[in-house]
Amino acid sequence: MESGATALKRFRSLTMGGMTLPDYGFYVISAAAVVLLAGEAVANPTAFVQITVFGVADGAMYALVALGYTMVYGIIELINFAHGDVFTMGAYISGAILGAFSINENSFTAVNLVALVIVFPMVMLFMGAINITIERIAYRPLRNAPRLAPLITAIGMSFVLEGIMFMWKGPASIHFPDILPHGPGFQTTIYGVFVGFKDVFVVVTAIFLVALLAIFINRTRLGKAMRATAQDRDAAQLMGIDINRTIAATFFIGALLAGAGGMIWGLYYNNIFYNLGFRTGLVAFTAAVFGGIGNIPGAAIGGLLIGLIAAYSDSYVGSKWTEIVIFGILIGVLVFRPTGLLGMRVPEK
Amino acid sequence: MVRARGLTVLIAATVVAFACGSTSGGPSGSKGTIKIGSDLPVCTTGGQATANGVKFAVDQKNAAGGVNGYTILYQSFDDCRQGAYSADAGVENVQSMLGDSKFLGMVGPYNSAVAKAEIPIAAPQHFVMISPANTNPCLTKEVKPPIPACTFHAADLRNGNPNNYWRVVTTDDYQGPAMADYFYKTLSIHDVGIIDDSTVYGVGIAGAFEAEFKNLGGTVAGHSEYQKATTSDWKSILLNLKNAGAQAVYAGGTDDQNICIPRKQMKDIGWNAPYGGGDGIETTNCIDQAAGNELNMYSTSAGADATKIPGAKSTIDAFKKAFPGPNDFGGYTMQAYDAANALMAAIGRSINDANGGMPTREQVRAEMAKTKGFVGVIGTYDFDQNGDTTLKIVSIYLIQQVSDPSQSTGVCGSKATTLCYVWKDQVNYASS
Repeated sequence: MESGATALKRFRSLTMGGMTLPDYGFYVISAAAVVLLAGEAVANPTAFVQITVFGVADGAMYALVALGYTMVYGIIELINFAHGDVFTMGAYISGAILGAFSINENSFTAVNLVALVIVFPMVMLFMGAINITIERIAYRPLRNAPRLAPLITAIGMSFVLEGIMFMWKGPASIHFPDILPHGPGFQTTIYGVFVGFKDVFVVVTAIFLVALLAIFINRTRLGKAMRATAQDRDAAQLMGIDINRTIAATFFIGALLAGAGGMIWGLYYNNIFYNLGFRTGLVAFTAAVFGGIGNIPGAAIGGLLIGLIAAYSDSYVGSKWTEIVIFGILIGVLVFRPTGLLGMRVPEK
Repeated sequence: MVRARGLTVLIAATVVAFACGSTSGGPSGSKGTIKIGSDLPVCTTGGQATANGVKFAVDQKNAAGGVNGYTILYQSFDDCRQGAYSADAGVENVQSMLGDSKFLGMVGPYNSAVAKAEIPIAAPQHFVMISPANTNPCLTKEVKPPIPACTFHAADLRNGNPNNYWRVVTTDDYQGPAMADYFYKTLSIHDVGIIDDSTVYGVGIAGAFEAEFKNLGGTVAGHSEYQKATTSDWKSILLNLKNAGAQAVYAGGTDDQNICIPRKQMKDIGWNAPYGGGDGIETTNCIDQAAGNELNMYSTSAGADATKIPGAKSTIDAFKKAFPGPNDFGGYTMQAYDAANALMAAIGRSINDANGGMPTREQVRAEMAKTKGFVGVIGTYDFDQNGDTTLKIVSIYLIQQVSDPSQSTGVCGSKATTLCYVWKDQVNYASS
């Protein structure tokens, strides 16, 4: 009686015409989905473009959170379950600080702009600091423990963060100040497709932040150190890289993005609740796996694609099915193509 | 010898303490205490406002000498978990009350899903439940077509026990159609999109609305369900409805399931259309959720508006004096007041049945079933053998800008304090 692992290995190594069977499965399913989608697009192009617009905005936010998951996994092979709650806390903290300004929710005033410009970097740095602290007290002591230990700690930390937000603002959903320009004058209909300033803002900001990340990773010393540590921790240490500092920096940068993502989510939806991060984190993690865990461009692409898939599923399949679709993708990727779309980047053994 | 003396003193002290304890909390000469409880989602503004109604009734009764010489002790139980009503929490609360023999009845619950879980537990103990707000019809009766058939049945909930459940409000098989009639005939809306929050109440009332709306000849552009835990964005749903030709949206659900956030998002997508719902949206939390798009929202309430009943004004004024906070008075405060008074009246009659002694729960239940011609703040009514009120009035409210919020009997927003539900119309189904 074969064990499941052996059976899976055998399944994965079956080849047919040069490509493994699992890869075939992956491509066939993807092709079928694309064909069905194309059918819908042709049938009602305006609706298709509209859904795509919303999907891209959602995807941008998932991408920002997915990047944090992928970077941490890439460097210490930990699924940081608390990351979704770092994202939510970013929304909570930015909402609280914005409340201190005399912002106007009905028109875009100079105070709104000033508040936006000040609070954005503030909340990013704040969440970065919080994440470094979490890493220091919860994960670093367990760095050489069996892999299950930091995983469970991360789950526990997730509940601790949710509990803190629950006690702070209560269980009901909270209104996040609507300070971005909105309403007539800041929205338009192009060939029947509704696009608002907020949709554009989300995408542009996300692209900007991801671009900054790319420059950082590829052009700075610390970025190089992060890539080296992710590739081979011992060799990096031999080359004189301070591992603790590098890992802390990874958590810091992941939280910068998640904190920004949280604030963007709040600005876009104007409604947050204490366990928003639970589902958002799981979806973002799925996106990171989909793109290739540990792979930074993969996480960004994965986030975007998951956002689009969720939007298409909501409209074309039915919103009741969307959870099944998204997490079905997670299972499908792990079974058929565990390296994800762009390939994994995990430490060499 | 010293030890025996010490023991005697101890026993004497204990006896005295017990003797004093049995009459504590009441005026001297009170025959004892009877407890009534309420099981309401007091973590929400609406739930707390409802509990205030019970407390007001009990305080008034005690100040007037209690019920046949007994002081009523009122305990408010919270059936919230994580910010929303929970059937499990409700069941635990009822079990607490059942375990304490001094509890002879309760006002509540507020949510139909909680009642569905509580009735089977309370019925075998003949424990009286009077709800100020449950509107799902299947809790007491079967529905008639075209309303979709009940997925659970009143008889099964009671499981052979005599009826122990009453309500002072009418049911969704009237509430949903009332809004359907109002949309179709009064507002001339012939194409509507429907969303519901997947709960017992939301699905029920949205289904009743849809059935009546189609019966009148209207078109339903779409009917979408959502789940609170996984939905932040209703824009796709709303755009689909708008593009399918909907002229308005009907929302079946409660504010703790975020039913009014889609209203706000309608503004984000530039869709200017009326938004209707049941009593679940006639709340302060809902007005808050609609942030910026409150006007042009309609709701129904499963009962008459208290301002339409002569004689209710003095009670409302007295209440507002005792509870002066801006959100202390809610859509079900007066219903809870009536429910508490109906319960206390039944307890009073059952004390007579028990010849002045402490009545049993069955005696209270039997007396409750005999309630006739009850004069309440929301009207004068009987209860039928199913536990339903004979008052079948549905009121319709519209959110408007109000100059003096304290004069409005509909609820107002907590930040937008001048945006309140204002009574527009009522429909009386008793004659049909």
